[in-house]
Amino acid sequence: MSSLNELSITEAGKKLAAGEITAVLLADACLAEIEKRNPSLNAYLEVFTDVREQAQTADARRAAGESHPLLGIPLAVKDNILIEGRRAGAASKILENYVASYDATVIKKLKDAGAVFIGRTNMDEFAHGSSTENSAYGPTKNPHDESRVPGGSSGGSAAAVAAGMALGALGTDTGGSVREPASFCGVVGLKPTYGAVSRSGLIAMGSSLDQAGPLARTVEDAELIFNTIRGKDPLDSTSIENKGPTSREYPARGSKGRTLKIGIPRKLLEKGLDADVLQQFEKSLDTLRAKGYEVIDIELPQASLALAVYYVIMPAEVSANLARFDGVRYGLSLKGESLIDDYAKTRGDGFGAEVRRRIMLGTYVLSSGYYDAYYGKATAARAELAREVAGVLQNVCLIATPTTTTPAATLGEKTDDPLAMYLMDIFTVTANLTGNPAISVPMGTVTREGKELPVGIQFTAAHGDESALFVAGKLLQ
Amino acid sequence: MISREEVLQLAELARLKLDDKEVEGLQKDISGILEYVGQISAVAPQGATSPQAGEDAPLSAASFGSRNVMREDVPRAEGDGMSGKEEALRTAFPKKENNYNVVRKIIQKDE
Repeated sequence: MSSLNELSITEAGKKLAAGEITAVLLADACLAEIEKRNPSLNAYLEVFTDVREQAQTADARRAAGESHPLLGIPLAVKDNILIEGRRAGAASKILENYVASYDATVIKKLKDAGAVFIGRTNMDEFAHGSSTENSAYGPTKNPHDESRVPGGSSGGSAAAVAAGMALGALGTDTGGSVREPASFCGVVGLKPTYGAVSRSGLIAMGSSLDQAGPLARTVEDAELIFNTIRGKDPLDSTSIENKGPTSREYPARGSKGRTLKIGIPRKLLEKGLDADVLQQFEKSLDTLRAKGYEVIDIELPQASLALAVYYVIMPAEVSANLARFDGVRYGLSLKGESLIDDYAKTRGDGFGAEVRRRIMLGTYVLSSGYYDAYYGKATAARAELAREVAGVLQNVCLIATPTTTTPAATLGEKTDDPLAMYLMDIFTVTANLTGNPAISVPMGTVTREGKELPVGIQFTAAHGDESALFVAGKLLQ
Repeated sequence: MISREEVLQLAELARLKLDDKEVEGLQKDISGILEYVGQISAVAPQGATSPQAGEDAPLSAASFGSRNVMREDVPRAEGDGMSGKEEALRTAFPKKENNYNVVRKIIQKDE
C-alpha cells in the first residue's frame, strides 16, 4: 500500500496503535484525496470543516490510554444518517438546510469508539434508486470508470471507500443499497440481520426492510464496523439482542467434522446474467470448493417473485414514512392557496421524480379496493419466501448468487425506464424481505469498453449468522 | 392503463402537486410497474399469517411472527431522548414567532 488513505482499517488501526502514524495524518491523507477526486466523482455532498479537530481529539484520546480499533479511523457517512448539529438531507431538496438535532444510535456508537467523520455522502434521494442518479445534487460517478454509475443508493459511500477518500463508510440497505454499490465499486458491503443494528436516527425508507451497514475494503474491516454499531437499542423496538459472534449452530457446521455447504439457486441464474459475470461467480465457487465447502444446487421457487413482492411492500412503506415531510415543522415549506395546497406544493416541489413515483405507487397499493390484491398478497408471499429461505438454511450455511446480473451501467442508461432500474435489485431484495444478513464481496472484474469493472458475489446466511458471511468472504480476498 | 382521474385522485391522497406531463408519465409508469408486480396475484400462498414458532424461528419480527415490544411507562430521565433539544427543534421551524411555530389556521369560522 502506497499511501495512508489506501490502508485497510485493520492495517491503519495497527499503525495507530503502534504510534507509527496519527489520526491527523490519516485524515489529511483522505482530505488530500478528496480534493483531487471528489470534484469529478461527487461522492461527498459535504466534507466537514472540523475533520482535523476530530482527528486531534482521537489522537488525544489515544494518548490518554484509549484503544478501540476504530479510534482515529476516518469514515464517510451516508446523507440519511443523523449526526447531531450537522446537515442531513437524504439528498433531497425537501430537507434543504435541515440540521440533525440528535445522533443516530450507529453514530453514537462510532463516536464512542472514536471514529472520525469526514463528511456526508451522496445517495439516491431518500435511498430510492440503484445508481445514485436520483440525487437532487447530481449523480456520483464510479471511481473505476467515470462514465458509469457507482450503484446505489449508497453510491457516495461506496465510491468514497473505493477511491481512497475514506477508510470505510456507513450506508443503508433497504433492497440492496449497500451491497449493489459495493459490487459495482469493488468493495465489501454488509446488510446485517434485520434488527441487528438500530435504525434510530436513520431517515426511514421502508421500516420493515431498512438496515444500516458498513462499506469497507476488506471483510475484516466490515466485520469491525458491524461489531461496533450492532446491538439492541431502546430507541428502536425492532432491534434485537446480538452480542456473540454467532447465535446459532447448524447441522452442517464444519466443527462437527461435516462439510460446510453453500447452496446455489441455479434457476435464478438462468436468465439475464452476463456470461462473464457468471464466469467470475463460478471461479469464486471453485475457490470455496478448494477451501473445503461443498457447493450444491438449491430450489428457491418463491425467490423469482421477490422483486415483485418488494416493489409492492417497499413503496407502501415509503408512502407512509414520507408522509411526515409536510413542511410544517422543518425542511422546505411552500405556501399555496390552502392548507392542503401548502402540503401538495411543498411535497410536489421538494421531492424528486422517483420519490413522487414511489409515493404514488405506494398510495395505489394501499388504497381501498387494491389493498388485498397487492399489499395483502405481497405480505403473504413475503412470509412464504422467509419460510423457504429459512428452510434452505437448515441444510446449507450460505446461499450464494452474484450480487448483480451485470457490472455498473453507464450514466443515464436506465434513468428513463423505472422498471429496468428496479431489475438491478433482483438478487438483493430477498434478504431485506426475509430479514436475513447478506454480504457482497468482490469476485474479480469483467471488461467493458476496455475498462476493468468490479463485480461482487453475494452470500446470504441465517438470521444472526453474520459470522458465516465473514468466514466465507475472507476466503475470497 | 390507469386513468388520468385515478392518478389525480392518488396525487390528492398523497398530497402531491403534479403537472400534466407528470400525470401522463405516471399513468404509463404505474401501469407498467403494476403489470410487473401483478405476477404476485397469480400465486396463492397459504398459511401466510401463521408464524413459524419453535426454537428455529428467527428472532426478527421482519417476516415471521411479529410480537409486541413494550417499554416501562416511566418518564425518561433528563437528557434522554429529545429533552434538552428544544432549541434545535425550534431552529428548524420554517416560520417562527416568539419561539412558537407559525402554522396556517386550520379551523375557519363559517361565513
